[in-house]
Amino acid sequence: MHFAKLLREPLTLHGQLDYGGADKLGKRVDSPYKETTTIADGKATIAREGRGTKTFGLDRAPDLQGLLASFSALLSGDAATMDRYYAIDETIDEHHWTLTLRPRSDALAKHLKNVVIDGAANEPRCFTMTQADGDASVMLLGDLATAALPTPVTRASLDDLCHRSAQ
Amino acid sequence: MSAFRRSAWIIAWWSLLVAIAIGISYTVKISGDLRSFMPPAQSDDQKLLMDEIGNGPASQLLLLAIGNGPTESGPQEKLAALSTSLAEKLRNDPNFARVINGENLDVQLDSELLPYRYLLSPTLDSNTFDAPFLHEELQQRMEDLASPAADMLKDILPRDPTLEVLKLAQRWMPAKAPIMRDGVWFSPRGEALLLAQTKAAGFDPGAQTAAIASLDAAFAQLPEVGDAKLTISGPGYFGAKVAATTRSEAEHLSAIGTAGFLLLLIVAYRSGAVIALVGLPLVSGALAGLYAIALAFGEVHGITLAFGITLLGVAQEYPIRVFSHRRSDASTQQSVDAVWPLLRLAVVSACIGYVAFFASGVPGLQQLAVFTITGLLIAGVATRWILPQLLPTRFRDAAALPFIERVRVLIASIPKPRWLPWLLLAIALLALFIAPTPLWQNDLSALTPIAAADLQREGELRDALGAPDIRYLLVLEADSADGVLALSERISPQVEKLISSHAVDDVELPSRYLPSKATQMARQAKLPDRVILSKELDKAMRDLPFQSGVFAPFLDDVEKARALQPLTVEEFEKSPFGARLQAMITRRGQRWFGVATFSGVHDAQALQTLARSAGDVHVLDLKAASESLVAQYRARILQALGIALLLLAAAVAIALRDPRRAWHVIAPMSLATLLVLAVLRVSGVSLSLFHLVAVTLAAGLGLHYALFFERPVDTLAEARRTLHGTLVCVSSAVLVFGLLATSSLPVLRAIGLTVALGVAFHFCLSIQMAQRKDDAR
Repeated sequence: MHFAKLLREPLTLHGQLDYGGADKLGKRVDSPYKETTTIADGKATIAREGRGTKTFGLDRAPDLQGLLASFSALLSGDAATMDRYYAIDETIDEHHWTLTLRPRSDALAKHLKNVVIDGAANEPRCFTMTQADGDASVMLLGDLATAALPTPVTRASLDDLCHRSAQ
Repeated sequence: MSAFRRSAWIIAWWSLLVAIAIGISYTVKISGDLRSFMPPAQSDDQKLLMDEIGNGPASQLLLLAIGNGPTESGPQEKLAALSTSLAEKLRNDPNFARVINGENLDVQLDSELLPYRYLLSPTLDSNTFDAPFLHEELQQRMEDLASPAADMLKDILPRDPTLEVLKLAQRWMPAKAPIMRDGVWFSPRGEALLLAQTKAAGFDPGAQTAAIASLDAAFAQLPEVGDAKLTISGPGYFGAKVAATTRSEAEHLSAIGTAGFLLLLIVAYRSGAVIALVGLPLVSGALAGLYAIALAFGEVHGITLAFGITLLGVAQEYPIRVFSHRRSDASTQQSVDAVWPLLRLAVVSACIGYVAFFASGVPGLQQLAVFTITGLLIAGVATRWILPQLLPTRFRDAAALPFIERVRVLIASIPKPRWLPWLLLAIALLALFIAPTPLWQNDLSALTPIAAADLQREGELRDALGAPDIRYLLVLEADSADGVLALSERISPQVEKLISSHAVDDVELPSRYLPSKATQMARQAKLPDRVILSKELDKAMRDLPFQSGVFAPFLDDVEKARALQPLTVEEFEKSPFGARLQAMITRRGQRWFGVATFSGVHDAQALQTLARSAGDVHVLDLKAASESLVAQYRARILQALGIALLLLAAAVAIALRDPRRAWHVIAPMSLATLLVLAVLRVSGVSLSLFHLVAVTLAAGLGLHYALFFERPVDTLAEARRTLHGTLVCVSSAVLVFGLLATSSLPVLRAIGLTVALGVAFHFCLSIQMAQRKDDAR
């Protein structure tokens, strides 16, 4: 789910994430169009069906860096490395936990405000990446990906979904 | 003169020379620029070549890599930070024109130039801004906004929904850019990469050495440097390194040679005082020669200096002759007077020979002539008029040495058949004819080779950086700057084919940066007016979620672009990217030249084929072109040497007033020279400029041997003195140059071996052919 100021309404995409280690990530969009993003050698490559590829430095894609950080935080468990790059806040209650990552480097903070990960038990449910200018994307994982979306889709209604689902 | 006063005078003379040397080192500029040494460029093409050799951006590029030290495998961020601080420092260093490390490479079109994007980008060549095209583009922009690229694009989207700026950026980036990590370039092995362009010419080893020293110091002073290691590569670096190794090895060997020479003098003359005297004429001559070039030309070329000092080596014999010819039965002045006519003939005939060099018209050779002639004259004058006053009063007459008499008898007993020289001549000619290798070595760099490991590293870095090839250039010729751009556009499809067939990795054509006027106007004509465009845009946005009115800046820019005058080369050159174009287009007289660079040349033949099929375009092979310049230069030297030999023979004949006697002097000298060449050629050596200079020096020395052996003498004692002087000269030359011949560097080996061999041949043949049969026996 993408929220952008240039757009009247949020975009809804479906696809898959593929995490392959500290600096490898694949992101696939299946609908409404097909797009594959891969990260390798510090570069992100976006390939779209029938439209060739775009390649650019990872430092130009705060979104991806946030995503990469979230996965590293959750899966590799390398707290020391994470702590070098992000300030981490966590709130945990009986059914639900929230991790908030804030970039420590000014360079990244100029683009990426924070990353919020919501989850329950061992399962992350939502990744919410908010950029410095307010544009945001919310990724719904697992059951939520196929669940019915709230109407209308707004940041607030999605936040609500992410929290409510854990209860 | 008392011994004390003599010592005082000698010290005063040396002090004066040291003072002059210091003065010269401050005032005379020694240039390493190859261009001042070469024949003046004749054609436009040669002028362009001279420019490219000296100032071509490709030859001025130093390739830098910052890697971790051997003990550390530190994080990449540290290397990236080092790269950033080094680049920052070098940008303020006057030695460097440009330093890039991958940072801030985003295309910066001035806001003023931004509307020109519709004339510069090829989008409109195959599309029109109608609803279907715009819809397709906006659909993609919507996807972009949901993709990781959003952050990069969203600021420019309202103004540039078709992303022309990005298309231009892609077009203007090298096809093969290095990997970016932490915001700077990295090599596949994980070193931070930088490109530094020096202001100095790439082939000016002196200036490159200074730039590299400054670079090394800047790196060492970085606070966070730790044990990170900076690797430098590139043509300028190799030039500086080769110059440094050559100088250090030459100095090392010369020091040993000089020590041996002085020891030899002590043994030969049983006197320490000669050591203080023997160098005076030569050093005086060299400094006078240097001063003369400075007066006549302003600056001295490094190669001229090296060649000139080598050639001036003949003057080292003048004082030795004076020492050996002192007679116990006459005053010093009388014995000097006795050999002076012959020494004078040697000096004057050599000077006359070098006049031919002056007449050649090549600046390098003219400098050489001025240096050698002045040097020989001053050394001669010092030997004749000053040296005798300073000689120690106590000495031993060389004629009294029993050893010399034994050698004289031995030499006299050697049979000297008349047919021997002719047989040697036949053998030499045959050897020259059957020699297995090419006669000439035109590639001067073959004599100053670069270590294979360094070359391999250079290749890796060049490849990783996608830096332009330093050998091949594509030259486009037209009668206007716009003509060059039009020509560049015309051959662009063929060039694309070269890239897609992997003959080259990339070609940087001038039209990559700026299209011709005609192309710009054709694109402009396709821009719709505001009313039509906004109608088409509305249609295109109908089923897309963009905010309405968000693309107003786009409408404004297209409106502006419709009224623009096409961008000219002069205007474009003012923009940040214009410097690149400026370096590519130059005017010479009435013609305009565009220079396109290649990177990663895999098939040089394909380049030539391209050039042949497109008119007004040719491939400039810098290596081949500079080799042809060397060949041209060598032809001039050979011509000068031929004339010099004739002049010299005439001078000797006139001075001796007898063609037969002149023949006895010239014939052994010529045959010995031929024999040296024959031996070199049969052992597979291809001749270079350095061999020619060495052969000339040996011939100058050989002239002395023949002149002195040929001289009619009244007494056996004088014959012994002649033999003594000649033996000292021959053994010192063989010693000094024989040592050079042991060098690991081909250039020093070439000079050393040729002179040592030459001296030996000249000596033997002078005995065979010049020595008078009617010597007092």
